[in-house]
Amino acid sequence: MAAAVPPHGKGSGMEGLKGKSPRGARTEGVIIIPVYNEEKNVRAVLEEIRGEGIDWDIVAVDDGSTDRSRELLEDMRVILISHPVNLGYGAAVQTGLRYAVKEGYGTVVLMDADGQHVPSEIPKLLRGVENGADIVIGSRLLGPAAEYRIPLLRRIGISFFSSVARLLGGTRIYDVTSGFQAMRRPVAEFLAEEYPVEFPDAEVIISLGLKKFRIAEVPARIRRRERGTSMYANPAKALYYPFKSLLASFIVLLRLIRERK
Amino acid sequence: MSLQAKLIITALALANGFFILELLRKRKLTESYTLLWFLVIGSIFFATWADRFLYSLTQLFGAIAPVSTLTLLSLAFILVMLIFFSMKISRLERVIKELAQRVALDNVRRPKGMQG
Repeated sequence: MAAAVPPHGKGSGMEGLKGKSPRGARTEGVIIIPVYNEEKNVRAVLEEIRGEGIDWDIVAVDDGSTDRSRELLEDMRVILISHPVNLGYGAAVQTGLRYAVKEGYGTVVLMDADGQHVPSEIPKLLRGVENGADIVIGSRLLGPAAEYRIPLLRRIGISFFSSVARLLGGTRIYDVTSGFQAMRRPVAEFLAEEYPVEFPDAEVIISLGLKKFRIAEVPARIRRRERGTSMYANPAKALYYPFKSLLASFIVLLRLIRERK
Repeated sequence: MSLQAKLIITALALANGFFILELLRKRKLTESYTLLWFLVIGSIFFATWADRFLYSLTQLFGAIAPVSTLTLLSLAFILVMLIFFSMKISRLERVIKELAQRVALDNVRRPKGMQG
């Protein structure tokens, strides 16, 4: 990964990642990584983040892993939050967000523990936040940098939910399923309150759009998963996903209509 | 409805009632659910032995036999119970999630040298 490491000087976008907060050891932002059975990837992901010179606090939320993920995390320089039982990806993200809000971090970066999200792309997301967006989505579908090829069926699904998000939430985001995000504190506060336990994709984009948060999307390099298994490898989940996402998207809209009445 | 059918339904309802009581005694069921089940058993008794009521319902539903009406009522009850239990399970899931998150947030493990 050494070739992908940008210079860390001025103008590289890395300056913000090195700032210290008034609370001494705490930096102004935090990186949240939900972890579930990622013993083969998690160490490399954390080492890569540190290798990029990013000295923000890293919060790993272990979602009741049954492999050695938690033990590995205990030996690393991360803030470790462990769910006593497996609650789901969304719950792990929400726990991380709740911690971030409680500790007063100004900016939150979300990334996965499977090694697909490239830490050197974090500055791109943060530049989006600096440019005025409340939340920035790292997209596999924008720009020429897409080394990660999305299977056709999944691409169709993403495109469909992107249209649903635009129709219901009023925001065009192409890669609605991307978990690589940077957000300001108000968004973190909003999502810490209510966050879907499963598949927090289009539903979240729609609810943020309806709440008038400024959502931006920037091209981000995403790698192919090298080890471990993807959620989409489970046919039952792959079938359930579109049903749940579509239903949840409409429910978000219905709730808002009800709130406005 | 024939006397034979009435007796069989009554026997089944009684057996169900005793089973519920047994579950309550063994603390495998809470009183709130017991009340629900006894209401159902009471309704089955009423519908079985109140001939006029059952015939009126049968006519209302356009059914031919009163037993069909009882079956329909049972299905409606099962549907209501399924919705009720789905709601309960959803609520419990939410409670468990909140509890587990609180436990996790109360036991944050920070690297050495970092303030709590």
